[in-house]
Amino acid sequence: MLSNKKQCVAMLLAGGQGTRLGVLTRDVAKPAVPFGGKYRIIDFPLSNCINSGIDTIGVLTQYQPFELNQYIGNGQPWDLDRMSGGVFVLPPYMKGKSGEWYKGTANAIYQNINFIDIYNPEYVLVLSGDHIYKMDYSKMLKAHIDSNADSTIAVIDVPLDEASRFGIMTCDKKGNIVKFTEKPAEPDSTKASMGIYIFTWKTFKEYLIADEADNTSKNDFGKNIIPMMLKDGRKLIAYEFDGYWKDVGTIYSLWAANMDLLDENSGINLADRTWRVYARNSAEPPHYIGVGATVQNAIVSEGSIIYGDVKMSVIFQRADIGKCIIENSVIMPGAKVGDGAVIKYSIIGQNAVIGAGAQIGSDQSNRVGEAKKIAVVGPNAKVKENEIVPDTAMIEAE
Amino acid sequence: MKMMGIIFASDNEARLNELTIHRTTASLPFGARYRMIDFMLSNLVNSGVTRIGIITRSNYNSLMDHIRMGRDWDLNRKNSGIAVFPPFAVNTSKEVYRGKIEALYSILDYIRTGNEDYVFVCNSNVAINMDIEDMYDFHIATGADITVLTRKQATNSSKRIVVGAKEGTRVKEFLINEGFGSGKTETVSLNAYILHKDVLCGLIETAYARGQMEFETDILQKKTKQLNIQMYNFNGYAGMINDIKSYFNESMRLLDTGIRQELFYKYGKIYTKVKDSSPTIYSNDAKVVNSLIADGCEVNGTVENSILFRGVKVEKGAVIKNSIVMERGQVQENSQLCYAITDKNVIIRPNRVISGFETYPVVVVKDKTV
Repeated sequence: MLSNKKQCVAMLLAGGQGTRLGVLTRDVAKPAVPFGGKYRIIDFPLSNCINSGIDTIGVLTQYQPFELNQYIGNGQPWDLDRMSGGVFVLPPYMKGKSGEWYKGTANAIYQNINFIDIYNPEYVLVLSGDHIYKMDYSKMLKAHIDSNADSTIAVIDVPLDEASRFGIMTCDKKGNIVKFTEKPAEPDSTKASMGIYIFTWKTFKEYLIADEADNTSKNDFGKNIIPMMLKDGRKLIAYEFDGYWKDVGTIYSLWAANMDLLDENSGINLADRTWRVYARNSAEPPHYIGVGATVQNAIVSEGSIIYGDVKMSVIFQRADIGKCIIENSVIMPGAKVGDGAVIKYSIIGQNAVIGAGAQIGSDQSNRVGEAKKIAVVGPNAKVKENEIVPDTAMIEAE
Repeated sequence: MKMMGIIFASDNEARLNELTIHRTTASLPFGARYRMIDFMLSNLVNSGVTRIGIITRSNYNSLMDHIRMGRDWDLNRKNSGIAVFPPFAVNTSKEVYRGKIEALYSILDYIRTGNEDYVFVCNSNVAINMDIEDMYDFHIATGADITVLTRKQATNSSKRIVVGAKEGTRVKEFLINEGFGSGKTETVSLNAYILHKDVLCGLIETAYARGQMEFETDILQKKTKQLNIQMYNFNGYAGMINDIKSYFNESMRLLDTGIRQELFYKYGKIYTKVKDSSPTIYSNDAKVVNSLIADGCEVNGTVENSILFRGVKVEKGAVIKNSIVMERGQVQENSQLCYAITDKNVIIRPNRVISGFETYPVVVVKDKTV
């Protein structure tokens, strides 16, 4: 029998402003930022959900929702156009006489308690919209159910010297979380929270209501809900994940995650048909590589036309690449690059136009990790002929 | 414009030999990610036609798999949408339909249902991006009984219908020519027609009652004088596929960016089945020029003047020149293809050399391993 009852409902936190991505999120919500040649960031959690058998997803968003809303549509590309369940974009709305923006991650879920209750789930999966990874949530859910936990938090091992950038979980021998510290100065564990939580809904709802009643709370998972549950002696367990996972919340990390797709040892393989990533299709013809072009170590998507030398780069749909040089760069959908341009270590936004002979960015191969300076030309921005855009620049459309 | 569409999925298969053993002309792969039927289907959808019947004759499995519920063409509608007619017997001898007239006769009820006044009837062997509304306006303006879609082109395909005009656009004669063309420019029928629904039904019923089967010979040719048959001349790109040679030539013409812009964008996009392939990845050993390449490929070798469909793997040292490699084909290490067409799932083992000639490309049949 078809009923509204779901074992697990996913809530995707897509409400962050994404200020660290600068011009790339000026006009779109972070989850709608293009990634990997033909995807958007949100395709990863959405595809993970459907591949894990979770077919009811609320997407919580409040900044620049139009493009994201249009992109998600009825959820058909992810097989989420369902009779019961499916994908829903949930912006904040007026309730009776009151109504407010999402104050924090916990408040965003709190404001949608009624949505979750429609499906009367046993468990709620909380996801964020700024990570690239392939993960089977059903395994995590099984671990949660088997251990009879109140909450299960996915963690990934990070190098000790980077641990102070993450929310760090300290566990006992059985995997129970005993301490959670947000960005600790002196980390005592290398288990970083991936921003993926499973809660037993009955307990979770109580905590959301209690948190909302507390005027001093920041209404945040990391700062309030998890510490409160730990204080009360609730059972919180860490679920260890050892696959590829990357936060793409900064210009550098977004660039680096795109570059990981070119490295067969990076652990992320989009071509793996057993765990497909779905995207809304834009019905473009195949790409064309012209006479005189060189395309090596590159990812190229549909509808693009290439006449230049492209190396170590990711070229999205409909990019129009003249006789230019593109190295270690990300060229987003519909961008046009004129003849003679040289683009190195850059991100060129959607429908940006790079004039002939322009120089964008510079070689950063001598710099390590985040010291690399990635030049950014924002969506719809225009770079004039022969203009020089230095590696630290971020060009915005007028 | 209140119009419905009828597409014949099968026509002159016999001439496409190896490429249509497993499929109808409609599902013949073309242009690195499309099937032939995608073009007329998309033209109809882009012109606002949403009730479309597809008449199949045989081998329609691959077509059904391609079309499914028509969602990729936005045709999964509550009202209207796609209807696929499998070959069912209408005549007493329980045979599959014997010609277009019998096929149309068998679906007269479908044609009459619905509130459309006009019918666009076409074959599926033409790759074209056209505005059907414009042809309809012409049909109305000329007061035609039947409007035939035509194109002036050098005749070099093996079977064609040449249309002669009296004065202006009124058709004087239909000549059905066999054998290789002279190469001189003639007005050729693209096998697509607009008729008022009542005219179509009347013609079909009368012809069927007399045991006539072929639309072209029994109606167009015989009634040229009685009916006002007009030709609507299309000036843009139209690739008519009649045989292996024209299939190869029209495929290669897509390497021209101007032709691609016309065929894939001019009056709207061409839609096809979405397969969720990842983008194509090129390795350090890739050397690719003048080629049209779909998503989901892995290119580690040399590709020149060629067309790669979705999911093709080109291994290191492999050289593909002037060839067409269909979906999920593999060209393994150090193999060479020249003037070859390899069908879906063909595997070319290492160190093989397969070479045809420009006027006679070699075809490797679906699922074979060389």
